[in-house]
Amino acid sequence: MPLGAPPLFQEDEQETPLQQLIRYWTNERHAPDILPTEEDLLSRLLDHIRSQSETVQLLRSDPSSSEEEHFRIMLAQTEVERVKFVVRSYLRIRLFKIEKFARYIMTNPEVQQRLSESEVDHARRFARLTDQHFYHSVLQSLPESQQTLDDQPPFVPSMVTEPDKTRAVFAHARQNCPPVRLPDGTALKMQKGHISLTPYSVVEQLVTRGEVELV
Amino acid sequence: MADTRQFGDLATQLIIESRRSALADNLLKYNDNLVRSVIREQRDLEKLMDGAQEVSPAILIYQTAIVRNKRCLLAYHKHRTDQLRDMYWAVGGALPHILSNQDIRSKLSPHEVDFLRQYSASVMDYRAGFSNELDITASITHPPKDLHVLVRVVRDCGVIQTELGSIDFQKGQRFMVRRADIEHLIVQGFLEEV
Repeated sequence: MPLGAPPLFQEDEQETPLQQLIRYWTNERHAPDILPTEEDLLSRLLDHIRSQSETVQLLRSDPSSSEEEHFRIMLAQTEVERVKFVVRSYLRIRLFKIEKFARYIMTNPEVQQRLSESEVDHARRFARLTDQHFYHSVLQSLPESQQTLDDQPPFVPSMVTEPDKTRAVFAHARQNCPPVRLPDGTALKMQKGHISLTPYSVVEQLVTRGEVELV
Repeated sequence: MADTRQFGDLATQLIIESRRSALADNLLKYNDNLVRSVIREQRDLEKLMDGAQEVSPAILIYQTAIVRNKRCLLAYHKHRTDQLRDMYWAVGGALPHILSNQDIRSKLSPHEVDFLRQYSASVMDYRAGFSNELDITASITHPPKDLHVLVRVVRDCGVIQTELGSIDFQKGQRFMVRRADIEHLIVQGFLEEV
């Protein structure tokens, strides 16, 4: 399957694990908030990558493999590299968001549930690390009353960065969706195949349930 | 020095520096003096606050200046750590590569060096979870099109293990190698794609 082609109009067939991952990957890249981790899918794919690489290694070192087999090996290898690329990009965009919202994540157990264990560990370490860095570079030299890191003074944005769920996203309906309420009170009912531009908060539930995908 | 300096002027200079470095996309030297001056101003403001007997308009001004200065200080440091993280990922997580560069090293404060070290340790911890299958620090800018790539050696980088056996990369030579084997060397600037 070509990497570049978005699985936009293939909903009728059963999705392969790779197609699923590509969908989660595009969703993750477009959503302002961090989406639930797809650990099972990911570990299945990683297992597959590993076994494929081992098979390739085995076949390559086997002198009796034919010319045609070598060609097939090359294709398999290329595909493995492409899958790795998607996996890597998926993990990295999550890592980027985790670092951006580290403090918010660590104060919200609900958000932590959306992360894998190693991601929560990284968020914790990163939050502590930035706190320490601020403390050593700035806060420790300030008078005691100014040393907090979670002030909420009036008229200024909060010190803890939170995902901006009002950001506009393009949502593509993968099936007929139940109506969702727009900010102005009207209802939006998306038919299969429709694409709408809405604030992320409107379609948040639909994205989690897999009824729409972000494009 | 103009003697009609207002509270918050110094902090504004810090922000201007951050902005300048963001626009030019390069890291400026850590401005230790300026940071110290702002911190000193914070202490003076705090004393003024403590000295005030009753609630007066002046207190409101001091308070606003305190909040603003602190925010600017933190923003300055945050902006720098963001840049450091970008730099770190741009070389594929090769920390020694950054720290051994004297030009970069001289622009960092000691705390920032610590920050990078610990950050790198945390990323490496996370990466170890996937080390059997893939290297998450490899480049994600272009999806791979070919398995192999023709590279030119820009700087000597010693003997590297590849699928063709070990190759001694010496400056000026060209090789056709598997991308996955030498990807990190391209990122770190040892090799160049032809």
